[in-house]
Amino acid sequence: MPNVKPTAAPVRAAYGIAGVVLFVLLWKAAGTFAWVRPGTLPDPFLLPHAFMQEWNSDRLLPAIGSSLIHYFWGLGLGTAFGILVGLAAATLHRFDMLQAYLARILRPIPPLAWVVFAIAWFKVSHAGAAFVIAIGVFWVNYFATYAAVRNIDPRLYELARSFGQGGYWQRARSITLPAIAPGTLAGIRTGIGQAWMTLIAAELLGVPGMGQEMNSAAGIGAYEAVVVYMLAISLVYAVSDLIYVLIEKRVLSWRP
Amino acid sequence: MASVIQFDQLAYRHPGASAPVIEGLSLAIEPGSFVAIVGGSGVGKSTLLRIAAGLIKPASGSMRFELPQRPGRRRRAMVFQDGRLLPWRDVAGNITYGLETLGISAQERDERVTEALRLTGLTDYRDRWPHQLSGGQLQRVGIARALAVKPDILLMDEPFSAVDALTRRKLQAELIRIWQATNSAVMFVTHDIDEAVFLADRVVVLGNHPATVVENLRIDLPRPRDRNSAAFTTYVSHLSEQLGVTQDEPS
Repeated sequence: MPNVKPTAAPVRAAYGIAGVVLFVLLWKAAGTFAWVRPGTLPDPFLLPHAFMQEWNSDRLLPAIGSSLIHYFWGLGLGTAFGILVGLAAATLHRFDMLQAYLARILRPIPPLAWVVFAIAWFKVSHAGAAFVIAIGVFWVNYFATYAAVRNIDPRLYELARSFGQGGYWQRARSITLPAIAPGTLAGIRTGIGQAWMTLIAAELLGVPGMGQEMNSAAGIGAYEAVVVYMLAISLVYAVSDLIYVLIEKRVLSWRP
Repeated sequence: MASVIQFDQLAYRHPGASAPVIEGLSLAIEPGSFVAIVGGSGVGKSTLLRIAAGLIKPASGSMRFELPQRPGRRRRAMVFQDGRLLPWRDVAGNITYGLETLGISAQERDERVTEALRLTGLTDYRDRWPHQLSGGQLQRVGIARALAVKPDILLMDEPFSAVDALTRRKLQAELIRIWQATNSAVMFVTHDIDEAVFLADRVVVLGNHPATVVENLRIDLPRPRDRNSAAFTTYVSHLSEQLGVTQDEPS
């Protein structure tokens, strides 16, 4: 192994900040020297102003709130069902056979293709957006959990039988669930990201939320406001990923 | 006298195999005794142990446990070659694993874990994770987990074959001390003749295809045993001959 000294945290932070500053300067330069068609590139220096404007117009927070409702319901339901169905398919042979073709048929359909039915069934509502998000998240978690169960070392089940824990529920509790925790958690994290992507796309199609605000801001050429929403999206995602990391640290404390 | 475990005309065939791996094997293990099972690789030692553990079923013949089943204990407990700890449980949690289905109180569980930790010299490692332990320590936890269910017989499948020679010697001496402190019999599968003679009251040699008991040799040596004594080396060379290896060859 090469002997690489880890760089000190403050140095890494300084580099990180420098990268962001450079990017912003380059961005500003692109506008100043008209490298792109005038009027299509927001001015990064006007972003604080645009942020205050959105904030004062009482649109930003309600939009974030509305998006979070879609996000948590879609993510929560999609995750729960994905894990449950994946677990059932991987541990119950008959159920596995029953769902195998169906999963292959439904899996390739992009979540956004369901928007048509989401609108037909739920109108333009929170439930419709949550539904579309849940579909994408469902598949991510279904496959992650299914693969995690399949990857369990069969010798652990032998251990369970040797020590009187060989029944379905005993094995599930003492072997399957803890053994799949790393794989399933990785799936949940992917879902957290995927849900966020789907969310904005679903809202661009009309459900109130940050996506819709972006769309209407773009419609009147308020590109600074669009960027404000983009950054808000980035911030909310960073927070939810951070929460995930804290939970994972607790659940997987046994790992080296 | 009742045997802790009695095999009678046992036969076993691997799924899909044409010839049986074991046929007509009969063997009785006395309560509290230490029996080593030796034999060439692939002869069926581990298969016999897995039958004893109830992990696989014999094709014909019978296996009987002649001691009465007692509440709060298991008849048999397995110690695996690879340690086989649950990585998401600490040492105490792993030892508790077999106790969770015995219907004993939480207090007794805790007492049994403490006792098993003490017997195996792991008291200070109670809260460690498996990934923090050495190979020898992992095996000790495996032994402690098996001891905690107070089995009539401990089934050990080459438990020391994955540790270094020095640790192996230490674990062998400790296993004898632990065994003497319990009432459990031990059925110990090994391919190491020296280990078998050092540990066992009886060395059972499996041979032939399909396998049967070729010899059931009583090791009449006082404990602790001296590997350099003439009597010890006589047993070792006799068994080596039985297995078709000369003493100089690594067994």
